[in-house]
Formats: sequence, structure tokens, C-alpha cells
Amino acid sequence: MAITMGAGAYAATQKLLSSGGQAGGLASGLSGATGGGGFSAMLEQAIGSVAESGRKAETQAMAAAGGKADLVDVVTAVAESETALQTLVAVRDKVISAYEEIMRMPI
Amino acid sequence: MDFLRSIGIAASGLRAQSGRMRVIAENVANADSTGDKPGADPYRRKITTFSHHVDRDLDANVVTLGRVARDQSAFRTRLDPGNPAADATGQVKLPNVNSLVETMDMREAQRSYEANLNIVTATRRMISRTLEILRA
Repeated sequence: MAITMGAGAYAATQKLLSSGGQAGGLASGLSGATGGGGFSAMLEQAIGSVAESGRKAETQAMAAAGGKADLVDVVTAVAESETALQTLVAVRDKVISAYEEIMRMPI
Repeated sequence: MDFLRSIGIAASGLRAQSGRMRVIAENVANADSTGDKPGADPYRRKITTFSHHVDRDLDANVVTLGRVARDQSAFRTRLDPGNPAADATGQVKLPNVNSLVETMDMREAQRSYEANLNIVTATRRMISRTLEILRA
């Protein structure tokens, strides 16, 4: 379950990167954004999956504190949520730096 | 994502090896457990078996702890007529646990566990190294 969510965030990242990579892709990405989908939808989905895996990790950690969960389950859940969060943060930083670069452009 | 799948597969190895460690602990703890009645059988050594099966979520072969079998080899005996578990000839049956064998088994479980941990560590390093491309 969490694996498919992580894969979803990964796929969204790749979509964003590939659409930013070429001029035609950028144009279609922009038209997608005016249509209401595009970047905001991607961001929403990525944040949702990160929050979900974070909740899962927290549940496991609480169960482990109560002596009910396996240590291995806790570690894998935390590692999964950490990966999802790191991916999201890396993509966000990249997007913000791209935005700042555009804003610095002399008109 | 393949990386998270390999962490999941390594986690199954960690779980199996910790189960093996539990059985070894049982054997070591019961190395002196005799029967309660004269001539009764003492503790019989347990052996872990591992089996593989295809995990539907991971779509890969993971390891699980199989049936815990009993070691059918002969019990050790010791002449101890005063022992409540001694039979008519004064022989007491002792468990067929050999502490040397258990120690070697424990080392093997430790090494296997560490190998699986190394897979988790290496996979995580690969993930973070890949993410560094975005940060550069």
C-alpha cells in the first residue's frame, strides 16, 4: 500500500521533471495548470502520500512503544516515510529555485 | 519503487532471522530441562526451517519462518540416581542440546541478520544519492 504511494510520488516527480525538460512539455504543463490540474494536483497528491506514509510510521512507532509492533516493521515504515518526504522536499526546492530564476529574468 | 521493495524483502529476512534467534534462545535456555517424572523425556531441541513464498504486495520472493521441527537425535544420559527424573537404573535423560552447536547457529543467525541490514543500508544510501541529483 505505502509502496504504491511512494511510487506515485516518484512518478509525479518524474512527470514534473520530464515536462520541465523540454519547451513543448513546459507549454503543455502551463496549459494544464490554467486548466486547474497540473502542478497543484501533483503537489497535492505528493503531499497526501507523504502525510499518509508519515501517519503509518507514527502508528507503527506508537505500537512499538506499547510493545505490540515488530521493530523491523517500525524501521521499514519510518524509512519509507523518510524517503517520500526527502523526495518531496528535493522536488519542492527544485521548483522554488526554478520559480526564483524566472522571477529574476529581466523583462 | 524497486528500492522500497528491496527494503521490504530485506525486512522479511530480518524477521526470519530474529525468529531463528528466538528458537536458539529456547534451546540454550532449556539445555538442562529434564523430564518431571522418572524416565520421562527431557526437552527436545528445536530446529528452525525457512521457506520462501511470493509476497503479493511486493511481487517478490520473501523468506518466512517455516515449521519449527524437533531434533530427533538421541538424548544425552547421565548417572544421577538422586535426581527425581532418574529411571530405575539411575540414568537421567538430558536434552539433546549441544551448546557448541547452538553457539555456531547463533553466530550464523547474527551474520545473516547483518547481511540483511547491509542491504537496507546500501539501498537507503542509493536512494539518498539519487535524490542528491535534484539538490545539486
